[in-house]
Amino acid sequence: MRGQRAARLPWIILAVALLGGLLVGAAMAPEFVSTPNLDGRYLGPLQAPPMGTDDRGIGLHEYAMQGAAIVVLPAIASGALVMLLATLAGLVRCSGNTTIDGIIQVFSELVGSLPRLVVILVVALLLPQDWKVLLPIGLAWAILAAPGAMDEAATTAGRLGGARFVEALRAHGFSAPRIYLYHVVGLNLRPVIVRQGAEVAMQVVFLEIALSYLAVSQNEPSFTHSDGTYSWATLLYQGYTALLGEELMHAMVFGLLLVAAVAVAAQSVRFAARAR
Amino acid sequence: MAALALPFLVPAVITGVLWILPGDPASIICPPSICSGTEELAARWGLDKGPVSFYFTWLGNAATLEFGNSWRVAQGYPVYDLLAESLPTTAVLCVLAMLPMMAGATAAALGWIPRRLDALWQALGLVPAVILALVCAAIVQINYGALSHDGWPGMLRVLFGALVLGVADGALAGAIVGTRSTLEEELKQRYVQIAVLRGESVLSNTLPNVLPSLIGQFRARVLHVMSGAVIVEVVLGIPGLGELLWEGTLQQDFGVVLTAAFAFALLSAALLLIQALCEIGVATHVRRAPRGVVGAS
Repeated sequence: MRGQRAARLPWIILAVALLGGLLVGAAMAPEFVSTPNLDGRYLGPLQAPPMGTDDRGIGLHEYAMQGAAIVVLPAIASGALVMLLATLAGLVRCSGNTTIDGIIQVFSELVGSLPRLVVILVVALLLPQDWKVLLPIGLAWAILAAPGAMDEAATTAGRLGGARFVEALRAHGFSAPRIYLYHVVGLNLRPVIVRQGAEVAMQVVFLEIALSYLAVSQNEPSFTHSDGTYSWATLLYQGYTALLGEELMHAMVFGLLLVAAVAVAAQSVRFAARAR
Repeated sequence: MAALALPFLVPAVITGVLWILPGDPASIICPPSICSGTEELAARWGLDKGPVSFYFTWLGNAATLEFGNSWRVAQGYPVYDLLAESLPTTAVLCVLAMLPMMAGATAAALGWIPRRLDALWQALGLVPAVILALVCAAIVQINYGALSHDGWPGMLRVLFGALVLGVADGALAGAIVGTRSTLEEELKQRYVQIAVLRGESVLSNTLPNVLPSLIGQFRARVLHVMSGAVIVEVVLGIPGLGELLWEGTLQQDFGVVLTAAFAFALLSAALLLIQALCEIGVATHVRRAPRGVVGAS
């Protein structure tokens, strides 16, 4: 047991470090980026630490911090919503309530049949101008991703024995909160729930990057943040111009590093929460 | 049931949301700050007659393939024509995108892909579609120019798009690992071990039993590809249904978006129906003794 905990420790440290870094970056994000400085354009990370500057002389770290501020809380909220729904599905399967279980299955079948990005674009279209931020879009994505998570959590609970597992623990004298919260959720559903939550949080970040990139590339305002702020997609777009000859390869490198950091953070959370 | 409900449910949900949101539906569709003629729009679309009237009128028109005209993406052009022009490209893209996944799933089922490569597929699957699409777009643009959309460069864009959809966001990894794990679970069943002892082929015994699950996974992958087509088409400049939907969303063209969403719902419903028919076919096959299985004498 101690060995397994030790094996999880590096993942826990990595997850905390990466998520902490993102949260600190988000908290320190400036409300607006600096005014353009045309004398300091295209500087590399060594000339203008920590990330260099873009074609207007604005530090790339400002875009990175604003991007973190755009994604961190909506991604965490979306992940939490999926975890909540998956937990409910698992608990319902264990409680043996066939009516609610049936309703959940119908919900899963219907919502799971929708192409997610299509629904997201419809949501983006219908949202009033003032609400066009990542949070409602992220939550909509979480609901669309929930059927998979709920199905897996319910299957895991079913594999435990469902209502019979709860009955057996009751016979041992355990209280209902201890059975459901500790034995079912804490010990058995945790790896599934945390993995699904981490994956959805990561997907929401990638969704923001994708939607913002598409908007930036067409010179249109993004659905996910206000016009005055910049997403990580700005770094990637500048990096894309580097592939076409602009001196902004450092923007591409840092953009990709941020994407990789999110992917690694999600995987670290997943490994940190795996079953004993 | 979902297959039958989906084409009715999607417009119903959109209608419901439109009326639940605070403010006048016509102003939501066409915000006065960026769009003029809100009242005319409300009258033309029946938005002033309440949600039920709007829903049934729209559905009735949709049944006769009358989706109205686009008012911003291609002003005055029938939405049906826009749809008919873009659908074949998206269909080709999705079919081509399924090829790497089907190849991966088949190779995994036949045991041709070693398990130690799983980490590689999974790492590859962590790359978001937008990043891969961006690299592919740069390759095309560097070699053929930004406006290269016809002939071979246009085809190359579609091929790259299919490759991105077939590999990114865990598509290939899911096909390989999902198929293998489904088959491995089945191999633990006693009947397979008995079949092996009887000298029968493992695959011919297990395949009919795992097919419903594999068909379900396959449908989910097609759906995933359809969804991802939006990003890939826009980044690579492929004129498909996804790009049409994106343009409609950006330019607040409600008619185009509602119709494109309805088209996606119909495609998804068709996939569910095909899945159900395949499952019925497999169940019928399983009821009869499969060929190659030695009967008890």
